[in-house]
Amino acid sequence: MKRFFNRYEAESERFFDEVFSMEGKPRPHYGKLLQRFGQFSQEEINARKEIINIFFRNQGITFTVYGVDEGIERIFPFDLIPRILPAKEWQTIEKGLTQRITALNEFLFDIYHTQKILKDKVVPAELILGSKHFAREFVGVSPPLGVYIHVTGSDIIRDNDGNYFVLEDNLRTPSGVSYMLQNRQALKRAFPVVFEKYKVRPIENYPQELLRTLQEIIPNSKQEPNVVVLTPGIYNSAYFEHSFLARQMGIELTEGKDLVVNNNKVYKRTTRGLERVDVIYRRVDDSFIDPLVFRPDSMLGVAGLINAYRKGNVALANAIGTGVADDKVIYSFVPKIIRYYLGEEPILQNVPTWLASNPSDLKYILENIGTLVVKAANESGGYGMLIGPESTIAEQEQFAEMIVANPRNYIAQPTISLSRHPSFINESELHGCHIDLRPYVLYGRNITIVPGGLTRVALKRGSLVVNSSQGGGSKDTWVVDE
Amino acid sequence: MLSRVAESLFWMSRYFERAENTARFLDVNFNLLLDLNRISPVENPNYWIALILVTSHKDRFDELYPEYNARTVTDYLVFSRDNPNSITSCISLARENARSIIESISSEMWEQINNLYHFLQGATPHAVHNDPSGFYREIKNASHLFQGITDNTFSRNEGWDFIQIGKYLERADNVARLIDVKYHMLLPETEEKKEITIESDDIIQWMAVLKSCSALEAFRKVYLSKLDPENILRFLILDRTFPRSINFSICAAEDALWRISGSSRHRYVNNADRLIGKMEAALGYAAIEEIVSDGLRDYLEDLEKQLVRIGEQVHLTYFAYHTPEIEPNGVEEALPFTGVGGGRAIWSQAQQHQQQQQ
Repeated sequence: MKRFFNRYEAESERFFDEVFSMEGKPRPHYGKLLQRFGQFSQEEINARKEIINIFFRNQGITFTVYGVDEGIERIFPFDLIPRILPAKEWQTIEKGLTQRITALNEFLFDIYHTQKILKDKVVPAELILGSKHFAREFVGVSPPLGVYIHVTGSDIIRDNDGNYFVLEDNLRTPSGVSYMLQNRQALKRAFPVVFEKYKVRPIENYPQELLRTLQEIIPNSKQEPNVVVLTPGIYNSAYFEHSFLARQMGIELTEGKDLVVNNNKVYKRTTRGLERVDVIYRRVDDSFIDPLVFRPDSMLGVAGLINAYRKGNVALANAIGTGVADDKVIYSFVPKIIRYYLGEEPILQNVPTWLASNPSDLKYILENIGTLVVKAANESGGYGMLIGPESTIAEQEQFAEMIVANPRNYIAQPTISLSRHPSFINESELHGCHIDLRPYVLYGRNITIVPGGLTRVALKRGSLVVNSSQGGGSKDTWVVDE
Repeated sequence: MLSRVAESLFWMSRYFERAENTARFLDVNFNLLLDLNRISPVENPNYWIALILVTSHKDRFDELYPEYNARTVTDYLVFSRDNPNSITSCISLARENARSIIESISSEMWEQINNLYHFLQGATPHAVHNDPSGFYREIKNASHLFQGITDNTFSRNEGWDFIQIGKYLERADNVARLIDVKYHMLLPETEEKKEITIESDDIIQWMAVLKSCSALEAFRKVYLSKLDPENILRFLILDRTFPRSINFSICAAEDALWRISGSSRHRYVNNADRLIGKMEAALGYAAIEEIVSDGLRDYLEDLEKQLVRIGEQVHLTYFAYHTPEIEPNGVEEALPFTGVGGGRAIWSQAQQHQQQQQ
């Protein structure tokens, strides 16, 4: 502890530090961990880091960076020190997410059926009907069990006072769960001893839970449903994850060209002819999934898939058209959505959000652009955003122009200094790095959340962006029973 | 198993074998030139042209390089990205194929492909010229290791059989080409049908051919020191026990094809099975004297054509778009087949990137 944590500056007056309180004392749930880590020498830390690096390299755990030609596969950086969530805090998150995802699913069912919430003017109809993610083709179509969002990953952050907020909902094809699983395995291999004194809730059953969820949404009553994963292919940045999950679930990984639709039924092409497919866990975006319905130039999709889906001959996870509810503009309505469908107060709060489409908000955004975070409504992965305090005047002016030209596409939020967690930014130096949390929520017959999730770390000193495409890394995340 | 997975296993294996054989071609040529004392100061371009003729298109080479010598040919066959059959290209393609089916192969297999890939990324022409034998041995050993790992970690299922088919079809083709190299060296372009002669240079060349198949010792055990061309050809083409002979390779590919389809000697169920059975029978009843008197060059050329057709039929039967309308229907005419298959869909690369990562 001396070695590593003595030189560590929590800067608790500026940021919420996950490990150290304002007084510079370790928070109770971190006590034993710090003690354990304190017994390691620099050499031991290095040796264990090497074990982990080899583990990740051999597993081929890489992600792809766009716009870089050579060496496009990189190892996703992993930080040795786990993030600990006390069971009590986790309970709130779990309840809050269950509430939120239930409400969002009801919202999706509603807007694809009677559209009551639009008629009641709780959410402006033009926001939904004008959204590029609204799938007109699916109005009146009911997915199995009425569930649209089988796998979701909402991003959760903490502010200066340690309060939890939902930053965004990812209701289409959230990624990263393979890192969550691999991080745990890597840490267990490198530091078996640090697990000794804690009751860390297991997460290893995620693939089984995912498979169970997928089997629950089978559209027919087959005994042994044929479930497959659909990937865009090896050049996709999350390809490793697709193949990893298929392997863990023991099901086949398919590409669009492996599937064919005949008479509104979906088959996979095998060396022995065609075999029926019942459920598809798809990691291909809506717009590419069926060239007959969406982008006709798509080479990744399956022609006729949407019709087969509409006829109820195949189930898709997630359903089509769920992006309409994770739009950053709709995000600002989620508290209202929760109250509207469930009659409850939201357990997890939203980050205050200004909508550029709202004239008074627009004025506020333009006047305060230097202090706000501006985001494009439909982008993800940390692309298309402006962090006011870190931007140049020229960048701010450029964004202001873009906002004025297309206000519906932009929102702004206060710059929240995400909580920080000590992390190794090089071999011997600990630094407070900003983190967030992405728990993965499974929704079949009911909602299951594997305890914890993926903690993403902005490993660049001072950076607030945790996305892997922008130099982020991750940590193992423990939910600990006292 | 998914057709795409079968196809990728087939091509992964085939490209790996192709890389190994190209290393063998080059290695033998270096040895030969050393033996014949011709490597310098006056390099004999004929020896290098021969390599290009049997492994690739002469035109493509001519576009890229001004002349034939150790440096240009090595560069083209080892490093060039413009040559789809260069060792580097083959291993990259083997790796791409493996990567797309990473959940279907053992992690040890993947690691070994990756190792060789990274070894090649780090290799320089300079290093190859300093120690050509060492470099080619590295490639050959990597391939042997890969096959051994596959042998020990891959279940004996349909996928295994596709790996075998890829390997042995490629090997049979390559041995035929290797014998061809010898002919190109021997015969000036004008004298197409020169008799097989036995001169001292000639024996050295034949020994080099045997060596490049790792066959010299095995040959000696059978024929003692009777190093005459007919015996050597008999060994390389017709021997049933040596694992790099053409006959052995065809038998092994046939076994694998029949295991997949359930065919047998008396009953075949598709064209791939029929063609390989026909070829195996022809090899089984061939005599080397007949082959030589009818013209070895023509024989080898015909053999290579048959191998291409078998490849086409494997493609149609197991990999091609499997719908009833375009089911193979017994007609032998095949779709155009480029021989560079399993080329992953690079054309859809941009779209794969575009998928939003949430």
